[in-house]
Amino acid sequence: MFNKLRIGKKGENIIFGTFVLLYIGWCVNSPDMNIESLKSVLTIGLSVGIIYGLVALGISLIYTGLDVVNFSHGEFFMIGAFAGLTMFNLLGNQDWIFNIFPDAYGWIIYVVCLFTAFVSMGLFGVFIERVFLRPLTKKGGGYTVAGMGIIICGFGLSVVLINVAYLIWNPVAKPFPAELGLPMEIGGLFLPITYIWMIVVGLSVAAGLWFFLNKTKMGLGIRAVAYSKDVSNLVGINVPLYISIIFGIACAIAGIGGTLVGPTYQVVVFMGYIILMKAFAAAVVGGFGNLPGAIVGGFTVGIFETASSFYISGSHKDLYAFLLMIVVLMIKPTGFFGVQVKMKA
Amino acid sequence: MLKIDQLISGYGSVQILNGANMKVEKQSIVALLGGNGTGKSTILRAASGLIRSWKGTIEFNGEQIQNLPAHEIVGKGLVQVTQGKDVFPAMSVTENLKLGGFILKSKQQLSDNLEKVYNYFPRLNERKDQLAATLSGGELQMLCIGRGLMSNPKMIMLDEPSAALAPQIVLDIFKNINRIRQDGLTVLVVEQNVRMALLLADYGYVIKDGVINVEGDSKKLMYDESVKESYLGGTKANV
Repeated sequence: MFNKLRIGKKGENIIFGTFVLLYIGWCVNSPDMNIESLKSVLTIGLSVGIIYGLVALGISLIYTGLDVVNFSHGEFFMIGAFAGLTMFNLLGNQDWIFNIFPDAYGWIIYVVCLFTAFVSMGLFGVFIERVFLRPLTKKGGGYTVAGMGIIICGFGLSVVLINVAYLIWNPVAKPFPAELGLPMEIGGLFLPITYIWMIVVGLSVAAGLWFFLNKTKMGLGIRAVAYSKDVSNLVGINVPLYISIIFGIACAIAGIGGTLVGPTYQVVVFMGYIILMKAFAAAVVGGFGNLPGAIVGGFTVGIFETASSFYISGSHKDLYAFLLMIVVLMIKPTGFFGVQVKMKA
Repeated sequence: MLKIDQLISGYGSVQILNGANMKVEKQSIVALLGGNGTGKSTILRAASGLIRSWKGTIEFNGEQIQNLPAHEIVGKGLVQVTQGKDVFPAMSVTENLKLGGFILKSKQQLSDNLEKVYNYFPRLNERKDQLAATLSGGELQMLCIGRGLMSNPKMIMLDEPSAALAPQIVLDIFKNINRIRQDGLTVLVVEQNVRMALLLADYGYVIKDGVINVEGDSKKLMYDESVKESYLGGTKANV
């Protein structure tokens, strides 16, 4: 997770570069190719990509910290979006906020929503980890890859959480009408401000996580637990607590992702599934378990998906992320910033 | 200081320790000797809380600690020093040492202890910004001992500090262990290197099949025929 970035073998890179050039050539040949469309493809790709990146960040964090792949992570994303929306509906008709801040009214409410999603999903993640995942680890000797039970439990948890959300919020897609102001003009292109906002907040969250892991004492403890639970125990780290913290942080980040997506698209019970799959693709493309790689992979998947659906064919939009994942797995199985085996062995 | 009474423990359903008894006096160095698979490391892991003890008691400073989680045992002042390979390779030497002092509350204390460790092992000071993965075997062992000292322990338990090291470096490390004892700590050292361990220690225990087989003053054990037998499985050899 924290070793130096390694940029693959030479042969791998040449083959991969050829694929990239072929792909760019294909896009350039498209009749829709012009500078305006390229600008919007890049902006939309980056804004979608940061969402994949945030969820992938959580998946990678749980993978490095707990040695399991969390297949219910998309549902934390979805419930996070609902938590933000619920807060939004609570605050939306409060006149006093409007009276105090007539100018920044929408922004303040939205920031509160993001914060709500972050905190509530963090607590919810800790709850899920303590109540449903922790008892499973008692027999299997801690969180290990061999603990297949936890992975199956992740699938089951995903179904349960979807159905609980279905009972609470019903399956109708709900709008999230955050008032963030007029579309912004960037280089002759009018974009909803939520796109820019997604990129800014997403990158800030990623930077905040980097700072937290590398500059604080708790971050040091998390890195230690991620490397070895036995040695962390021996230096006096409360490992069970730190495992809960890791899970909570990963879920909190997913929750922020959900609330960020809300205003641009809609909030619906089934939004988590496809996001999980694409975030998984992003994590694989970036190098599984590598945190900067998760964000880079998210951007790559986002741009690739948007560009392909724009220049190649828009009718199979969800196909491209997985196509990219397969190509990366074939040519560069470690992803862009593959984790060195010796660090995790 | 540390008193282990009729300890029974193991991994999963495999029982390794069959009622081991031992005692470590304050400010002494005690060696725990034995061949592979006799349960030396298991005693350490049970004492530091990495595995549960099934039966029997472990007393530290008059307190029973056998049911405490590992991080609380560190807080009581009983620290296990791992083998040199168990460092955090992707972190710098300083970060590794700071992790050793994870339970310390004040920053002043942390930097004081850092000074203290660099004083014991000047080599670590020279390499404080390097990644731990780049250190040599001897330096890794120093780093592990230093990390153990960071949390102001009352007693340290070393797991094979001489494993896979050149004799010159082993001597250096053992000198430092002696220095640590003179500064007021109690040391339990688990070793396969019988001769070196007995030269260092005041008292020795030899473990065989999960029970203490022979014990006694280290000067006496050094020439004890039964030690050679129990250690080398009956083969008469010059230890």
